[in-house]
Amino acid sequence: MRVSVISAERAVFEGDAEAVVAPAYDGLVGILPRHAPFMTLLGHGVVKIMHTGVPHGTTRLQVAGGFLQVAYDVVRIVARSAAPVAS
Amino acid sequence: MAKPRELKRRIRSVQNTKKITKTMELVSTSKLKRAQDRVVGARPYAQALAEVIGQLYSPELAERFPLLRQPGYTGRGAGVRRAALLLITSNRGLCGAFNANLIREARRRLEELEKQDAHTELHLVGKKGISYFKFTKRNIASQRIDIGDRPTLEHAAELAKPLMERFSNGDLDAVDVVFAKFNSAVSTPPTTLRILPIAAPEKRRSAVNYILKPSAAEILEQLLPLYVQNQMYRALVETAAAEHGARRTAMKNATDAGSDMLTILQRTFNRARQAQITQELAEIVGGAEALKG
Repeated sequence: MRVSVISAERAVFEGDAEAVVAPAYDGLVGILPRHAPFMTLLGHGVVKIMHTGVPHGTTRLQVAGGFLQVAYDVVRIVARSAAPVAS
Repeated sequence: MAKPRELKRRIRSVQNTKKITKTMELVSTSKLKRAQDRVVGARPYAQALAEVIGQLYSPELAERFPLLRQPGYTGRGAGVRRAALLLITSNRGLCGAFNANLIREARRRLEELEKQDAHTELHLVGKKGISYFKFTKRNIASQRIDIGDRPTLEHAAELAKPLMERFSNGDLDAVDVVFAKFNSAVSTPPTTLRILPIAAPEKRRSAVNYILKPSAAEILEQLLPLYVQNQMYRALVETAAAEHGARRTAMKNATDAGSDMLTILQRTFNRARQAQITQELAEIVGGAEALKG
């Protein structure tokens, strides 16, 4: 599935993933491919994106505010702020 | 005819000015590039927000959100009674008619509002707007000059928050922003945007039936302020980019004018020098002739 992370200032991430874990307003949500259309508010926390075909390849992004939308196997995370987590 | 020495002095002065304007042109070009990237970068977010609000919006919900309340809706008489106008200008000059155009647009809008018997208040961002309206002795509701040419989301939030609060309380019926729309580096028309009330989005009932968590109303409640904030942010970013575009054009024109002036001065100088030499020669020859005599 396609994942894009957009912050107010720029598009932060764009790519394919086999799973996404995101901090919703009331706890973590995990999204796998072919998830039902879904929309929720984001809280504060770290979004984890597991890349397709790359073992242990994950991107972590600190996000705050905004929303998450899933439709037609496209996950769109629109956050007020989003930045890579320093590992 | 002017003396060669004076001409020489003027040539040097024009040359120096030209160096300065040329440098400013280059500086603006590189700043413009970065500002332009920010304008483009802010687009997907604004688009996504507008799209989702359009999908969640329904007229029944609209009545519950003060930010969507159209003027005259609550039966307090039709039309706009109290309006706020926020004008964004630059802090620095030397950018042609950029600020003058923005100020003119703001004045036009104020007049228009006052003609509708609205009480207007003026909020200013940027030194140029402030000094103009101070000069005309207009009441300024708020002013700030610390935003400069790298506006952030925090700046936008700070500007939007009090206005949104007062709009929700019913102290204001409308909020307009006057800013420079950044179409391209050479097309930056001053534009008025009504950020409050939020214009009812066109209903785009999507075929997708979303699972909403929390409810549509609660999601809208969070997203509407973000939307207003984002519009403010875009106005700031676009104005910043437009300022650099305007400065680049102004400085390019100045450099070109300097080159033209230099050509003419140089030609005049050469002619004056030639004339002097010819005259001296004539004098020498005349003197020699006289001695022979």
